[in-house]
Amino acid sequence: MPVRGTKRSRNADVALPKVKKAETRAHSKQAEELMDLAVDAARSRHLPEFLKRFSARAAAMAEADWGGVVVFEESGAKLHSATELEELRNAPGRKWLVNKALEISRDAQVCILPQEKSSTCVFVPILSSLNERLGAVCLLRPPRALHVHERRLLEALASHAALALENFRRFSQLERSKRNWVEDIDAITDYIVVHDKLWRILRTNRSLASHLGVPPVALVGEAVGTLRQLAETEGALPCPFCVDTKQPREEHIVSARDRIFLVSTSRTLGVPDDDARTIHVLKDITDRREAERRYRELFDSIQEGLFFATPDGRFLDVNDAMVRMLGYESRDELLRNDVGSYLYPEPEARERILHQLHSKGVLRNYEETLRRKDGTLLYTLQNITGVRDASGRIAQMRGLMLDVTEQKMFQAQLQRERDFNQKILNTTQSMILVLDTAGLISYANRRCYEAGYREEEMIGRHLVDLVDSAQGKEFEAALETTAHGHQVENLEARAKRGDGTLGYFSISLSPMRDEQDAVNSVVVVMTDITDAALLQAKLAHAERMATIGRLVSGVAHEVNNPLAAILGFTDLLIENPEIPASAHESLEIILQETQRTKNIVQDLLSFARQRPVQREAVQLGVILRQTIKLRSYDFTSHGVEVIEEFEEDLPATIGDSQQLQQVFLNIVNNAYDAIQEAGRRGVIRMSARRVGDSIEVAVMDNGTGISDTARIFDPFFTTKPTGKGTGLGLSICYGIVRAHGGEIQCWNNDNGEGSTFQVKLPVATEAAMEAAG
Amino acid sequence: MSSSAVQRQLPILLIEDEPSVTAFLRAALERRGYSVVQASSGADGLQKLEHGSFGGVISDIRMPGAVNGAEIHAWIQTNRPALRSRIILISGDTANSETQALLANSGTPCIEKPFRVQQLISVVEKTFGKP
Repeated sequence: MPVRGTKRSRNADVALPKVKKAETRAHSKQAEELMDLAVDAARSRHLPEFLKRFSARAAAMAEADWGGVVVFEESGAKLHSATELEELRNAPGRKWLVNKALEISRDAQVCILPQEKSSTCVFVPILSSLNERLGAVCLLRPPRALHVHERRLLEALASHAALALENFRRFSQLERSKRNWVEDIDAITDYIVVHDKLWRILRTNRSLASHLGVPPVALVGEAVGTLRQLAETEGALPCPFCVDTKQPREEHIVSARDRIFLVSTSRTLGVPDDDARTIHVLKDITDRREAERRYRELFDSIQEGLFFATPDGRFLDVNDAMVRMLGYESRDELLRNDVGSYLYPEPEARERILHQLHSKGVLRNYEETLRRKDGTLLYTLQNITGVRDASGRIAQMRGLMLDVTEQKMFQAQLQRERDFNQKILNTTQSMILVLDTAGLISYANRRCYEAGYREEEMIGRHLVDLVDSAQGKEFEAALETTAHGHQVENLEARAKRGDGTLGYFSISLSPMRDEQDAVNSVVVVMTDITDAALLQAKLAHAERMATIGRLVSGVAHEVNNPLAAILGFTDLLIENPEIPASAHESLEIILQETQRTKNIVQDLLSFARQRPVQREAVQLGVILRQTIKLRSYDFTSHGVEVIEEFEEDLPATIGDSQQLQQVFLNIVNNAYDAIQEAGRRGVIRMSARRVGDSIEVAVMDNGTGISDTARIFDPFFTTKPTGKGTGLGLSICYGIVRAHGGEIQCWNNDNGEGSTFQVKLPVATEAAMEAAG
Repeated sequence: MSSSAVQRQLPILLIEDEPSVTAFLRAALERRGYSVVQASSGADGLQKLEHGSFGGVISDIRMPGAVNGAEIHAWIQTNRPALRSRIILISGDTANSETQALLANSGTPCIEKPFRVQQLISVVEKTFGKP
């Protein structure tokens, strides 16, 4: 055998004519067998069968007793052979063989069998095209050297085995991946259907078939139109899922009775046109659509405005309420690019929002004024969330917007009304107070404080405390009436003024009711009518005095005529020497009484006189001091104290100093008499001061006071005992002061002791001083 | 002086509506040697002034009727220059502002009722001179 082998190997290198023929024949046979092997390898679909055939053929070709192939697989090396190893005599162990096969490297190797030295095993590695060891060809034969040509044959055999193994491996991978692919497709829960140009179903996945309750193959070859049971569509095409067959890709939504599918369609263009296929993937998006629908419904039906916007102010999506709020025709109009800049009347406003959004992330109850399409302002309250991108910048703004225009307007209106009311309360000349039903002051308008009242004597105090105690009961009764829901108007009462003096007030009380119509407070409007009351009294007095003056003047004149005759004739009689001396005494009495009558008439005329007799500059201070001097003896001897409070540099008045002295003397005499009558230690306080354009002289005593201050200046009104005075003294004073353009008045002192006479005379003007010389 | 002498002998016109006053005045003046012509009203006085010649005029200011003392005074100022400073007015009511204005402007002497005989005679002698 070795010779033959040597021959064969030589045959390849050296051609010897005799041997050559036989060798050539053997060689070509080998080549034929190898070719058969290659064809077998290509045709075989079953690897173990092929390997069996291969093993037998290889053993025959290599003149071996036995042949096998060890294939390296992932699960381990596996031996294939035509004859089972165990059937041989002196066969090596399967394990030894397999392990040896795994050990050999890239070259064929001959190993002696461990127990049977008479036999060897040749291992030829099977290498892939990438030099990967796929397995080994094993041949058992008697020990002999491996000739070159033998080695070549073995390598050729190994490479055929490699080719076959590689083919089988590739094929089985393909098979597996094909099987996997179908499994994968079947595992997809979306429904998949493939149909051809003739609208026949080529394939469906398992999900679709099991949804329809049939095995997948059952649908193959059926018209795709049968799938209408899945979803009824209005399309005119035989396929319910095709819309435009010209499009390589399509996506649309198809609604079934209770399901909604998103149909994604792909079209493959087969190389021959007939092979073109259409693949529909039906995704059941019912739940998603429902969620979306609910979301959209909420989005659109909500009364608050919802928006998604870019930071540069473009709306990405808005709801209907938002469109309505901003006064746009449609959503699309609002989504236009140019709206953003128009929206903010102040361009900085958006920057402000962005800035705050960037720092805080969210804006809660953010007030912003926006501009509607028609240019009117929209007051909004917004809650905005900023969505940031990877770099942390605000990428999107999402917000909810409330239209608070009405509230804002209402608020502004309310504020205006409140301001208006406040203004009325603050600017009115009347004092307005609010009392609780207990009569405590809870509110006083500004006028009260302007009038001089202090807050602490108003708020929380009883208003009745300000009212003259003599009228307290009357006021309380009025308050009670008001608390019972009735208005009291123009209650005239004396009350404390802001400066502490008593004044006259007209008081109106109105009940104020709460929601339950119960009186919970009283609104008091107090108007200081002191000046008006005084003026009215003064006017009435002046008028009365003028009437008396006219009367007195007339009477005086009428009396003067008969008086003139009486006086004249009496004089003539006294002159007459024929009248007896005894009659003279009577005539003298007539004369005296006539004189007295004359004086009374003169006094009356002084009262009625309208102009001073003299007109000169008069210093009242000098006159007052002279007046006091005239009576000082009486005063000191009767313990009457005189306090002088004369202002320095009193200006002059124009008039008759004699008459004015008469006035002050008269007043001082009255004061003295009143003190004498009261029987207490007398004090006469005399003051003179300038007040505006007047000089005010006041004589205050602590005497008995005056029973009727209103009538004190009337002629013949006297409180003194008969014979003590004519009752014309103060009437004369009145006449003189009036004739000087002044005023005289008197009142009883607040402290209840005595009275005060006040004489006001005009300050001499420069012109008057010049005229007076 | 001659005219003054002539006038001195002329009667004094006494215009006064009150008879008792007229009677007293006449008695007092005549007792001092003056001759007196009396008029019982302003109108009567004016008539007498127009038709007669008088050494002086004594007139009450306030009189009933159309003509009062002030008008007598005014008429004299215009029509009888010789008598301009020979008027004495008698007033029952100096408080009256019209009266006061008249007296202040003219400087005419005035006697206020009621007056003593001596007062009257002294003013008359000063104004008209002694008879």
